[in-house]
Amino acid sequence: MMAPLLGLSHVSKIFGATGPLGRRRVPAVSDVSFALQAEAPEIFTIVGQSGSGKTTLARMILGMEAPSEGSIRLAGNDIGHARGARARRLFMATVQPIFQNPFEAFNPLRQLDYYLFLTARRFGQARDQRQAQTSADVALRQVGLSLPEVAGRYPHELSGGQLQRAAIARALLAKPKLIVADEPVSMVDASLRMSIVNLFKTLRDELGISLIYITHDLATAYYISDRILIMHEGVVVESGDARTVLADPQHPYSRQLKDAVLVPDFAGTSVVHDTMEMSGTQRPL
Amino acid sequence: MMTAAALPSDKKCVASGQPATAVLQVKGLKAYYRTRHFGVEREVRAVDGVTFEVRSNEIYGLAGESSSGKSTLIKAIAAAMRPPLEIVGGTVAFAFVPGGKDLHQATSAEVAAIRWRKLSYIMQGSMSVLNPVRRVRRSFEDFAAPHLGGTGASFEARVREHFALVRLDPNVLDAYPHELSGGMRQRVTIALATICRPDFVIADEPTTALDVVVQKDVLGMIRNIQREMGSSLLLVTHDLGVHAYVTDRLAIMYAGRLVEEARTPQVFASPQHPYTRHLIASLPRIGDAAPRAGLAGAPPNLASPPSGCRFHPRCPLAGDRCRRETPSMTVFAPDHRVACFAVSGGTA
Amino acid sequence: MLTTLRDLLRYNIEFRIGAILVGMVAVIAALSFVSPYSPIDTFVVPPDLPPTLAHPFGTTSRGQDVFWHLTFAIRNTLAFGIVVAAISRILSLAIGLLSGYKGGWVDRVLMSINDTFIVIPLFPILVLFYFVLRDHMSWFALAMIMALLGWAYDARLIRSLALSLKAREFTHTGVFSGMSTREVLVREHLPYVMPIVFATTMNNMNWSIGLEVTLSVLGFTDINSPTIGGMIYWANQHTALVAGVWWWIAFPVVVIILLFIGLFLLAVSMNEHIDPRSRLRRLGAGGGP
Repeated sequence: MMAPLLGLSHVSKIFGATGPLGRRRVPAVSDVSFALQAEAPEIFTIVGQSGSGKTTLARMILGMEAPSEGSIRLAGNDIGHARGARARRLFMATVQPIFQNPFEAFNPLRQLDYYLFLTARRFGQARDQRQAQTSADVALRQVGLSLPEVAGRYPHELSGGQLQRAAIARALLAKPKLIVADEPVSMVDASLRMSIVNLFKTLRDELGISLIYITHDLATAYYISDRILIMHEGVVVESGDARTVLADPQHPYSRQLKDAVLVPDFAGTSVVHDTMEMSGTQRPL
Repeated sequence: MMTAAALPSDKKCVASGQPATAVLQVKGLKAYYRTRHFGVEREVRAVDGVTFEVRSNEIYGLAGESSSGKSTLIKAIAAAMRPPLEIVGGTVAFAFVPGGKDLHQATSAEVAAIRWRKLSYIMQGSMSVLNPVRRVRRSFEDFAAPHLGGTGASFEARVREHFALVRLDPNVLDAYPHELSGGMRQRVTIALATICRPDFVIADEPTTALDVVVQKDVLGMIRNIQREMGSSLLLVTHDLGVHAYVTDRLAIMYAGRLVEEARTPQVFASPQHPYTRHLIASLPRIGDAAPRAGLAGAPPNLASPPSGCRFHPRCPLAGDRCRRETPSMTVFAPDHRVACFAVSGGTA
Repeated sequence: MLTTLRDLLRYNIEFRIGAILVGMVAVIAALSFVSPYSPIDTFVVPPDLPPTLAHPFGTTSRGQDVFWHLTFAIRNTLAFGIVVAAISRILSLAIGLLSGYKGGWVDRVLMSINDTFIVIPLFPILVLFYFVLRDHMSWFALAMIMALLGWAYDARLIRSLALSLKAREFTHTGVFSGMSTREVLVREHLPYVMPIVFATTMNNMNWSIGLEVTLSVLGFTDINSPTIGGMIYWANQHTALVAGVWWWIAFPVVVIILLFIGLFLLAVSMNEHIDPRSRLRRLGAGGGP
């Protein structure tokens, strides 16, 4: 059996805070295990509120923090042992991040095509600037933008939705097998959110890229996830097939979470269908 | 038909046709940012002709995304404007300002007199209100005592009475802000903003920074306070779920102008403006995996907004008229206004 | 870059005044190249003459024209300040950025060295160096010593900035785009650090020149290559103030004060301009609805 694309085995992260009377140990993440298979790309969602440990878990998967206990393996290799520039490069050619704040993802003082070209040159086998531009254009078109739209622009000249899509395009240029997205749409306007969420589905279906989607929003989680993990104070309280878990959560915390979601339901579904017909006349994005 | 989860039983409905007094009247308000840096002049038309009124004893919601101008609108209404923001036209009139005058014409003494007692605010970050190095009690003394006649036994009694009203544990008074959870802090902030029983409260994204579970709690608290005090509340947030849960009427703002305004159930049940319809249709819901589309295009640049109707570059129903002329808010149904040629006239 | 300078000159009054002051001092320094008198010659003009048309700043008790001697003095002092500032900036930038970004044992080692340098009492050490190097002490040697002693404070400052920059998401984007540590530090972080570097440069120049003047006044430097401090030293040796030869002290002091104020104004106005936040405001981002 092939090694899984990503395997977490009893991963814990304990932050040690030194108080006046000795160290206090704060477990941010306790005993998390799951695996993603390379042959079956999926959208794996981790749901939790602040303090649940989901961001710490994301950082560990991205190699930005080392687990205190347990192991994280990428294609069989332990991430913790990825020392040295070459190993790090290999790692980054497999896993790429999307961050929460699209306005911070790129240096505000720099034109953002710079990062696209750089990723194309370092990871994407582009040999010179012209090839880098071609690769960047291809990646941008995959996310619904294009190089002429983005070339020479600074981050503040684009909307949150466009920036986040540009960030996804940059990640795609490294041709990763796994993308870790930490709250990728929570800072994006509601009207632009769905195009990015739909994009994740496209990445899974057409490009075979698995996505670890970290969010506190149960509604978008229901919309795109295959499997789901619900975390509370560092511990996994419920996991399984996303639709099943969210339709009928078992754990009291999961139930509490679902009940707290504010649902604007005032009428039947006729409104939804009306509007869907209307927007069908637009360019689908 | 209204589901129990969305419309709690104690939510009152303002029957249309019943005369209601307006506590706040905004007419044709225009507020621009005018900057000049190194000889380059820029004019950002953040609020460009907004007219609406908030009636007594109601929660009025204002929904808008980034670059809708809603934050600027709040600043203009709360008389919290600083250069480069200037009022370029229109009026803001509160019923409790002497003589019904425009707030911006009032003297600073008059404005100070109404602050906190007649007009108060609930802000997004509770930490910016509560002094982190002093106990909560001191914040109350600093803010509210001057309006309630000094500290002392009667002040203490008043505070405790208010806490009982909003169902907060009075022991919280002796705690430091960092000892309380985020939700608790926000509730303290709300208690602080309402202790003088103001006629009008402006709430700017009051629950955005809070966890989903806590959010529902805090919104419930806001609603209860409003019912008990009978004051008016202007609730501004981008989250439509929040509006559905607490507001009586709802206005949608886009690119510095209002595009639709109606009683909240109407906005969700039969939205008319293409932008509103898209917003509501694109909301994902648990239990419904039907595909949804995002809105094409990007939010407008308020320094150089589109001509005519500002939504026309992204509107599926846009016609020639929409590019040339600006639609104004017209009455579509009782208590339901829309600014759209496709709804009110023709788009040709 | 040129448009930046032009904008600053046109719109920023502080920059204009600062530029004028520093410009005046620089012109005086440049005039040293056309001086009719060599700075080491003495008694080339009648001594103790008050300011007149022939000798606009008067003459010293040693028979030197104060004005022309001052041109050399200010040239050397200026050069001294620039060298110290340049070398210590490079050191504090390199150590501060690296330490903040890398963290771990690199940070601990570098900061231990840093703190040692902060704690060293400068003045006694400088005096010690003087006594040890007495005959070989030139202003260049002094400049090197001060540069090596003057980077520690600012390295810590830059380190704290580097720590906050490390946590910003665009750093991670850069890393995941394939940037090496050096590239991240130089291309991503440096623009944010530059305003602080600028402020500290002016500070550093004021500090080094001030210290040099102090040392010279006390006679602890090469008294033959003229500096501002040297002039004051000689003036004191000849009890100039008591003898009524006030112009010997006054003019060097005035020039050095003009230089300090000019540098300060430049720093303050350029900082506001270079600061990424105000740059963004000018580009049109941030602020507004």
